[in-house]
Amino acid sequence: MSQVSFSHVSKHFGDSVAVDDLSLEVADKEFMVLLGPSGCGKTTALRMIAGLESITSGDLIIGQTRVNDIAASERDIAMVFQSYALYPHMTVRKNIESPLVARRAGRLDGAERDRRVGEAADVLGLTEYLDRKPGALSGGQRQRVALARAIVRRPEVFLMDEPLSNLDAKLRTQTRLELVELWRRLETTFIYVTHDQVEAMTMGSKIAVMSAGKLQQVGAPQAVYERPANLFVAAFIGSPPMNLLEGVLETPQSASVADGRVPIGNAPSVGAGAAVTLGIRPEHVRIGGVEGADIGATVASVELLGHERHVICNVGPSRWVVRQGSDDGAIEVGARIGLTVDPAHVHVFDSATTERVN
Amino acid sequence: MSLVVRRSRRTREALPAYAMLAPLLVVFAIFAYYPFYRIIHFALYQKFGNSDAESFVGTAGILDVLKSDDFLSGLWITVKFMLYTVPAGLVLGVLMAVAAHRRLKGIKIFQTIFSSTIASSVAVSSVVFLTLVNKQAGYFQNVGWLNIETPGGAMRGVALSSVWQNIGLTFIIVLAGLQAVPEEINEAATLDGYGPIRRFFRVTVPMISPTLLFLAVVLVVQALQAYAQIEILTRGGPQKSTETLLYKITQLQGRTDLQTGASMAIGLFILTLVVSVGQFLMLNRRVHYDN
Repeated sequence: MSQVSFSHVSKHFGDSVAVDDLSLEVADKEFMVLLGPSGCGKTTALRMIAGLESITSGDLIIGQTRVNDIAASERDIAMVFQSYALYPHMTVRKNIESPLVARRAGRLDGAERDRRVGEAADVLGLTEYLDRKPGALSGGQRQRVALARAIVRRPEVFLMDEPLSNLDAKLRTQTRLELVELWRRLETTFIYVTHDQVEAMTMGSKIAVMSAGKLQQVGAPQAVYERPANLFVAAFIGSPPMNLLEGVLETPQSASVADGRVPIGNAPSVGAGAAVTLGIRPEHVRIGGVEGADIGATVASVELLGHERHVICNVGPSRWVVRQGSDDGAIEVGARIGLTVDPAHVHVFDSATTERVN
Repeated sequence: MSLVVRRSRRTREALPAYAMLAPLLVVFAIFAYYPFYRIIHFALYQKFGNSDAESFVGTAGILDVLKSDDFLSGLWITVKFMLYTVPAGLVLGVLMAVAAHRRLKGIKIFQTIFSSTIASSVAVSSVVFLTLVNKQAGYFQNVGWLNIETPGGAMRGVALSSVWQNIGLTFIIVLAGLQAVPEEINEAATLDGYGPIRRFFRVTVPMISPTLLFLAVVLVVQALQAYAQIEILTRGGPQKSTETLLYKITQLQGRTDLQTGASMAIGLFILTLVVSVGQFLMLNRRVHYDN
């Protein structure tokens, strides 16, 4: 069993707080993605699991053991670093073998080590490169060596710190799929840090969104996408991002905004007159005539992506994006249009607390 | 056509280049190439008395000097001095650099102290050392193995003084080498399960091996060229126990000694060349150069 559990864990660097009272459960065999902008504390949290950062307060438990005071070299954990951190003076074979020979206690015999190295190299397609040094490999191959070095020891927990960020876009998409396949095959707990919400959405069985050292929301990717817990998560998850607009609640079913009125499907828990921020995803807005529409808007520009197009328009003081099919009729920049929203998909946030209220 | 254009353009660019290189060539010619030519000349011709007459002794004359007991004893003392100073200096410098390579409050103070000897000249630090081992007032006056009036003590004293003088340089360069090792690689090694000592030998040392090779060459050359500390501390004595080749050569300045001194200088030159090239060839195979 290899669940990881943070219980009120904080990490201070001098006066600055990197991780603030983090409580998070990572279940056995889960693919947990820690997601957030740079400086949000996600990497610090990961490094605390590895034992590379001390814990200022709180308890960190791996399996059944509190590991706060267990040295990094004594934890059964493998980590893939952003820079891969391969040993440049060792061949690929020696790099992969390294975790098997590093500990004197319980070391496997040579034949078993060779078998394991061969197996890891085979899984990652590195067999023909075993006698090269990392300097003679491409970025993608180096990344695989780092992965092979991690899987060869069959650890309880895998940690990955933005392992795809040094790859080009095409290779990144491909490796994303391969990592998920690897996770299914190994049946081990993965904890993966990224600032890329596409990686988080596509790979994680759960994602934990962090900001400014605090955990914002944990859940399955789809659940986080469909019901963001606060304005930060709403704005951070989704591409193009969720459209936001300030308004005042009139009735539980509608809010008045700068240039119209937004219908609300799920009644908010705050009363009429409350200042709210409304959020509507680009795919839940339709463009029509000004007559009978919910909100008035002006077209600012149109982005064609082939299979769809994004209409960017000015709504009061805000900039919105509407997602359309690429053949949804001509649209002119500067034209006055009407927007109709899907009431069932209107997210309501308290403007003061930024928390979700519906 | 284009070839002609290219060639004339190359000529046009070459002239200013040579013009700018010329001053340096002049300096080299005066202070390196001409003296080198003169050394060879001195070694090939024997002078007699005060006359300008000289007779050609050729390579046989040089070989006679290189086979003499005088040269061989100087060679042995030089090698001994090298063995005393280079490994000890390298190991001490690495130990100090490893000790000072950490993020601690006030570590800069230690780094400054450790590197301070780089700012003092060999002559000054030799005088300081001489004062330290002074029989009447020196701090080390009662330390028997550092008594520079005995042959063994003199060698140890000169060697210790040299190690101390070079430690600042070694320290700074090793520290720079350690700082160039990415932190993530050390962390990866920790997670792989290496303890601190095995991590040092399996990961850190191979990664700083180019630095160590460079330092080994520099320290060997410095040992072969040591002069001031010997002149100030022992003047080659007692009983020629610290008379290294270079020191011996500097003492052979009389007109009749020129052939001997020049031949020994050629011997020292060959030794320096062989040791340096040998070190590169030997270590290059084991040294890791990134990409």
